[in-house]
Amino acid sequence: MRVLTTVSLVISVAIALTSCSTGSRVDLGNESAGNLVAAIAGEPDQLDPQKTTAYFSFEVLENVFDTLVAPDANLEMRPALAESWDVSPDQRAWTFHLRHGVSFHDGSPLTADDVVYSYRRIIDQKLANSDKFSAVTSVTAPDQSTVRITLEQPTPNLLTNLGGFKGVAIVSRRNVESGQIATHPVGTGPFAFASQKSGDSITLKANPAYWAGAPKVSGVTFRFISEPSTALSALQAGEIDWTDSIPPQRVAALRDDDSITLEATPSNDYWYLALNETRPPWNDVRVRQAIAYAIDRDAIVQATSYGTAVVNQLAIPKGNPFYTPYNGYRHDIENAKRLLSEAGATPKSLDMLVTTEYPETVTAAQIIADNLAPLGITVNIRTVDFATWLDEQNNGHFDMLMMGWLGNIDPDDFYYAQHHTDGSSNAQKFSNPEVDRLLDAGRVETNRNARADDYAKAATIIADAASYIYLYNPSVIQAWTTRLSGYEARRDGAVRFSTATLAPGGTI
Amino acid sequence: MAVLTHPIIRFIARRLLYSLVVLLGVLIVVFALVHLVPGDPVRIALGTRYTPEAYNALRSASGLDRPIVEQFFGYIGSALTGDLGVSFRNGDPVTVTLLQRLPATVSLGVAGILIALVIALPAGIWSALREGRVSDAIVRITSQFGVSIPDFWLGILLIALFATTLGWLPTSGYRPLFGDPAGWLRHIVLPSLTVGLVAAAIMTRYVRSAVLEVASMGYVRTARSKGLPPRVVTFRHTVRNALIPVLTITGIQLATILGGVIVVEVVFAWPGLGRLVYNAVAARDYPVIQGAVLLIATLFLIINLVVDVLYAVVDPRIRLA
Repeated sequence: MRVLTTVSLVISVAIALTSCSTGSRVDLGNESAGNLVAAIAGEPDQLDPQKTTAYFSFEVLENVFDTLVAPDANLEMRPALAESWDVSPDQRAWTFHLRHGVSFHDGSPLTADDVVYSYRRIIDQKLANSDKFSAVTSVTAPDQSTVRITLEQPTPNLLTNLGGFKGVAIVSRRNVESGQIATHPVGTGPFAFASQKSGDSITLKANPAYWAGAPKVSGVTFRFISEPSTALSALQAGEIDWTDSIPPQRVAALRDDDSITLEATPSNDYWYLALNETRPPWNDVRVRQAIAYAIDRDAIVQATSYGTAVVNQLAIPKGNPFYTPYNGYRHDIENAKRLLSEAGATPKSLDMLVTTEYPETVTAAQIIADNLAPLGITVNIRTVDFATWLDEQNNGHFDMLMMGWLGNIDPDDFYYAQHHTDGSSNAQKFSNPEVDRLLDAGRVETNRNARADDYAKAATIIADAASYIYLYNPSVIQAWTTRLSGYEARRDGAVRFSTATLAPGGTI
Repeated sequence: MAVLTHPIIRFIARRLLYSLVVLLGVLIVVFALVHLVPGDPVRIALGTRYTPEAYNALRSASGLDRPIVEQFFGYIGSALTGDLGVSFRNGDPVTVTLLQRLPATVSLGVAGILIALVIALPAGIWSALREGRVSDAIVRITSQFGVSIPDFWLGILLIALFATTLGWLPTSGYRPLFGDPAGWLRHIVLPSLTVGLVAAAIMTRYVRSAVLEVASMGYVRTARSKGLPPRVVTFRHTVRNALIPVLTITGIQLATILGGVIVVEVVFAWPGLGRLVYNAVAARDYPVIQGAVLLIATLFLIINLVVDVLYAVVDPRIRLA
């Protein structure tokens, strides 16, 4: 019985200790006191910006690293580490002039050698982002504040390739060669890496010497809270200041909640269906079109996003300069039946590959199964984890799959890899000579209007031929405390706290 | 020398040797399993930015292009020296990562099992002693309810009540015991209650049936008919003898919690082993999966050993041999 007495004593002490303090944030530890606390939905896999592909990593690294140029809120490329640049008349030599007085977080100055080293590392080690440099023939440093890039062919989207996201960040040679970059990254950005607690949080501290001005908060602590309802509770309790881990079904109610700020910004991401064109009858364009007519996009958007996403029959969303209106399909079963009989196809079953990694694919699959039933097609939903999904996609083991493309900026990001005959992500094996020609032309066309025209034509053919059956553009949904200002939810999903201000007060 | 020949010491030494064999077996099975399961760690690391060149470069950098037998013996060799390799994802030494996660997991396991015992022992004994009465029915119905309740739902309810509404406790997160004991306590209350209540519901039923079984034994009737006070009969004769099955279920429950309570860890953003294993499996991070399973197997073996030794302590009739 003595054990029991001790235990009940411990419990009483626990209650006494805990009931006298409110849901406070004073005990985050000294280094993070006064920091902005942001909850992200998962732990970064690693912190080397050039090697990671995880969004969670980029949420953190967006604040640690810089690129030569960087997208503004409208995704136009603006000077960053490069203050200005000149382009040769033949568009094949670009000269970037680096900003003076920029230092890495370890105090060493940024030089043109660092830029050359960063790009050579991506190219020579064939890192995942090396396709951004496919047209580059050389990167040199004529002097310590100039970087010259020469190209095989004119590349109108070079700036997007060099600054579209932090996967092409300028890294420190010393940091890479010491092997520290994956766990202790050193950048030039507004915040410097301070510490990481495995499975719990990453803490950054403000870089007072930041070239665009010192951040207004002392630092940022990123906590990993993957359960959205917990993250929301933590926000409402004042334990965190910002989160993008939000239950979609709560968005409508949260819009009316004055105690927090909620922003839902239409993003450049898109979700699509793709039918495997190496397998009959899906190689017949009429059969693919039948599927495109049979699905109910509005129902899919409602079920996957509770209405926060926007239906789109092409990839590029409204508001983007490269937006092309397209309304070729509507939910029309009779038309779908007619197309199937024209094709003489009577598919009885369809193997649909979806993954628990992206729950929207599992949800949408159930609606699609229901949509295709009137055509006499039984959809066999195969739900696998992402590792298996990638394997199956790679090996062509599917009739149809649903997936999304995230973080696209230039139209080339939206269409080339996915629909060019030689595209690296053309898992559905679409091939159309006219589309190939237009996508190749778009890569070198320097006249903006002519280029937009190339992509509008290519996109229309892609949708008509149902290489992808486009579904919707999701929104970037983020919520933060009303004490936070100087921050906005960006359409590329980049999370930047460099100009954020945290008003005092609120919780103690 | 007398110490070394003590039966308990000899027993423990033999069990430790046997444990090594078990661990080797665990390693072989896990190593085979991770390589057999579909999914390629290199493919996942590259995600949608896949190119064949990048794939081959990363594959050889991770050593995955070597023959599998060579990979296995290389792994065993370094594992014996305590080096469990480095994570494919971030290059962190697996041993270091596991040691960082261990305190949170052990904290949750110990706190959860204490809460479970505090509830299950009195509730189970009381219920057994009042078998068939209303109070017994209440305990049984409550524990049935506890067994059926999904732990994530219980966790979310506790957060809604104690963190959001009342504001007494933090919603989530973890603080180390050594460094911030008060913070540790405040953060562990809700997750350990979630784990503990679920375990308590299971254990109450075991305690009850164990006590009932012993209470029907001849020696308890004899004790009672000798005229011993009911209190003495209950605690010295009945409960003490019922402790053996209770110890067993306690060990199993503790091992289960230590093996990772993923759902509870997710709900409370608790940096335990469960989420580490879950993420490692999702990324097919072979070294982390192997290391974590090895650690969890070791914890199981230790708990098993401690429970076996405790059997002998609780019941001197049991000989450790």
